Amino acid sequence: MKKLHIIILLVIAVSIAAIMSTVADSSTYATFSVATNNEGDEYHVVGKYVKDKGIIYNPEQNANLCVFYLTDNDNKEMKVVYNGAKPQDFEMSEQIVVTGKVENGTFMADKILMKCPSKYNNTSDPTKTTGTSES
Amino acid sequence: MEIQYIGEHLLPGKIGNLFIVLSFTAALLSCFSYYFASNHNSLDKNNWLNLGRASFYVHGLSVFAVTGTLFYIIFNHYFEYQYVWQHSSKSLPVRYMLSCFWEGQEGSFLLWSIWHVVLGFILMRKSGNFEAPVMTVFSSVQVFLTSMLLGIYIFDYHLGSNPFILLREHPEFMELPFVKVPEYLTNLDGRGLNPLLQNYWMTIHPPILFLGFASTLVPFAYAVAGLWKKQHSEWVTPALPWTYFGVMILGTGILMGGAWAYESLSFGGFWAWDPVENASLVPWLVMVGGAHVMLIYKSRKQSLFSAYILIILTFILILYSTFLTRSGILGNTSVHAFTDLGMSGQLLVYLLFYVVAAGILLAINYKAINTETVEDNSTSREFWMFIGALVLLVSSFQITFTTSIPVINKIFGSNLAPPTKVVEHYNSWQIPFAIIVALLMAITQFLRYKQSDLKLTFKKIMIALIISTVVTLACAFALELYNVFHILLFFSAFLSIACNTDYIFKVLNGDISKAGASIAHVGFGMILLGALIATGKSRVISQNTSGIDISKLGKEFNNMENIMLAKHDTLQMGEYFLSYKGRRIEGVNHYFDIEYFKKDKAGKYEHAFTLSPIVQTNPRMGNSAEPDTKHYLHKDVYTHITYAEMDKHDESGHKHDDDDDYKPFASATVAIGDTIFGSKSIIILENIYKETDSVKYHFSGNDIAVGATFKVIDIRNNTFFAKPIYLIKGNIVNPIDAELNEMGIKLSFKNIHTDNGKIDVDLSEKPSENQEFIILKAIVFPFINILWAGCIIMIIGTIIAIRARLKKSKYNIA
Repeated sequence: MKKLHIIILLVIAVSIAAIMSTVADSSTYATFSVATNNEGDEYHVVGKYVKDKGIIYNPEQNANLCVFYLTDNDNKEMKVVYNGAKPQDFEMSEQIVVTGKVENGTFMADKILMKCPSKYNNTSDPTKTTGTSES
Repeated sequence: MEIQYIGEHLLPGKIGNLFIVLSFTAALLSCFSYYFASNHNSLDKNNWLNLGRASFYVHGLSVFAVTGTLFYIIFNHYFEYQYVWQHSSKSLPVRYMLSCFWEGQEGSFLLWSIWHVVLGFILMRKSGNFEAPVMTVFSSVQVFLTSMLLGIYIFDYHLGSNPFILLREHPEFMELPFVKVPEYLTNLDGRGLNPLLQNYWMTIHPPILFLGFASTLVPFAYAVAGLWKKQHSEWVTPALPWTYFGVMILGTGILMGGAWAYESLSFGGFWAWDPVENASLVPWLVMVGGAHVMLIYKSRKQSLFSAYILIILTFILILYSTFLTRSGILGNTSVHAFTDLGMSGQLLVYLLFYVVAAGILLAINYKAINTETVEDNSTSREFWMFIGALVLLVSSFQITFTTSIPVINKIFGSNLAPPTKVVEHYNSWQIPFAIIVALLMAITQFLRYKQSDLKLTFKKIMIALIISTVVTLACAFALELYNVFHILLFFSAFLSIACNTDYIFKVLNGDISKAGASIAHVGFGMILLGALIATGKSRVISQNTSGIDISKLGKEFNNMENIMLAKHDTLQMGEYFLSYKGRRIEGVNHYFDIEYFKKDKAGKYEHAFTLSPIVQTNPRMGNSAEPDTKHYLHKDVYTHITYAEMDKHDESGHKHDDDDDYKPFASATVAIGDTIFGSKSIIILENIYKETDSVKYHFSGNDIAVGATFKVIDIRNNTFFAKPIYLIKGNIVNPIDAELNEMGIKLSFKNIHTDNGKIDVDLSEKPSENQEFIILKAIVFPFINILWAGCIIMIIGTIIAIRARLKKSKYNIA
């Protein structure tokens, strides 16, 4: 039985290591205040794009830089700098998840995930397509 | 007051609903009949058996009828039905109508049921003594699946979601004003199919994937039958070819999903460790492990318990993945999960039912099946096959655990988010697992069952070892593989290809009919090798065209993977020169024609190819980009639009000049020599002078006119001059602006500061002057064809293995 026991122990050890690495690698959903208090740590922040302030994107100068403002679920607003092209339909997004960290009072995002209205959602705003809509 | 609606077709819905209820009750009856048939040994058995068969036929035909009816209403655009309205539209091409069918949950459950019915029909005839218990399991699963379509209320609980519900009766839409108008159907069009699904891969990938899902039920049903009827040694033989079949079909389905992602999604690759992808990969890995342990049992009568566990786990994991992707729990972590239709409770019951049932059966039989294990000799083939299956199991555990983060959050109320570097996280675990699996794949075939002579084995693989080492070193050097794990994976994958090829010719003397396993292993080795090279060595070429190492500027500059390409401009990207020719609009698709040139030896530009990535406009779901890829034998050049202006273009592809006006861009106070930065230009104040041309500017001797000369340099280094004038005409300030039409800028001379000689200037620009541009990303994937060729070879190998198994089991029976 010895060999089997060693194998089982190994399997358990690797599994525990896998669990630990997942927990260690995983990020946290947080608000801007938490991210500000822990400057430099990676967080996922869920928020809404501040339409009034617009998005600054000048591809002629830098195709990989967008700057915009986001309010998190606690209604705290923060400037977000994203090193990438402006996502298509950014303005239409209902909810945005930014991944990154706070540096000098700015949220440096390296990933943006947008939830567009009703892209995969059956429930939101059916009034937009009434009987006469053509598409 | 009852509204009399005009033009509705209510009959198909009634027929559909009738067959849904019929299929549910027939499945229930079939389940009980087959259950009694398996518990009776008397004359009753035949009666129950006949009843079970008849009711399963009725069930199966009803499922076909439901499917047919749903197709009928989709093809005829009966938008009075919510499912049709939600998932299709009049303008949708016929070839994508199939995709509408399975875009929604109800349709995809139906697709899954249909495959169960087809497989059930085969098993009713072919499974012999196992028919009653196997079909009991089959029809019990069908009871659950068809209940998902019932859409009835039992007390307050909504059971299932009905695909034939009318739009005006659907709880979410019944309050809409337009459904209260009797003629609401006259102009009604559907909401249309998700643009991502309007793709030929999406018409073939889901049926294959669901056949893969369905095929895991067959070995599961046999395993349950074996436990239940205590036929522990009998179930493996008939179940093994089905397990191979499942491995083949599910594998094909997963790889087709990868091909779809590669051809039509814009993340740039074929695998992103997305939760939905993982959810179907994990059962496949476990099933592959299960198939190998079943082989061990067939040859050595060992590891029966593990065979049971892995086969049962495969099916349970299919149910779990269904739960993950359909309960809405993945909402924040995956882009292509279904939304919650309120069936998560039902799915959970379904999952737990089989976990508990299988658990009880395993516990009852534990003593009988937990007999021999493979540990007796570590030089035996079965020992290392078993280790391989274990590695696959641990690998799937790692994937499952990280994928389940949302579930963990739900259970423990935690707030974990998926790893920020998801791909790196999975790769750091899965590459080592892949290395071990590939090594085992290479060597294990040369070991004998029971015990082997290690020296002899070593001799047999010597040549393959030498060749692999040389090739690995050469390729690692040529491809600049510097990561140790990448080199090891290259070596082990190559070794498994070499060893298995060697095995086919040396040991099997090239007898292809026996070489199924080896061929499949070669294919899998090629998949690993192709994936390693194509993703490990993919180059984003749409960056850093300046030739300056911008990564020195800071970490943030590393991920600049997009470049701007203005119309008719040419930019260098890698070895290519790109020119954006313009856009074509066909229906909802905007094609962006991008020409790739290469410089030949004489320094002349030579047209290499043209790519036309698409942006599909969709006002409801958002525009979506579809890449275009140039396939070469040794590499692919992949290009997709990350950003383009979409709203101001009419059918002919021309821009509307509706905002022709100048918009203020900057105001500045400048002295001579100072610079103003425009968005496309640099503007330098050259001098300030007294304007004397009173005729041209219409002023008289008493008025004051001061001119300013600005030098304007555009991005192509062209120089222009602009001379705005500050004019005081009889005490009224009346500046005369200078416009540079070709550049779309305007300068206004606003004020003079007499104290320091500075002047105030307003710069206005036409916001999007005629220069159209796109932002794109381009990636080169080297040798990705090794991956696709590997897929095909693996499928062929598995088919050969199934044939060989079927032949063998025929001889056994005879």
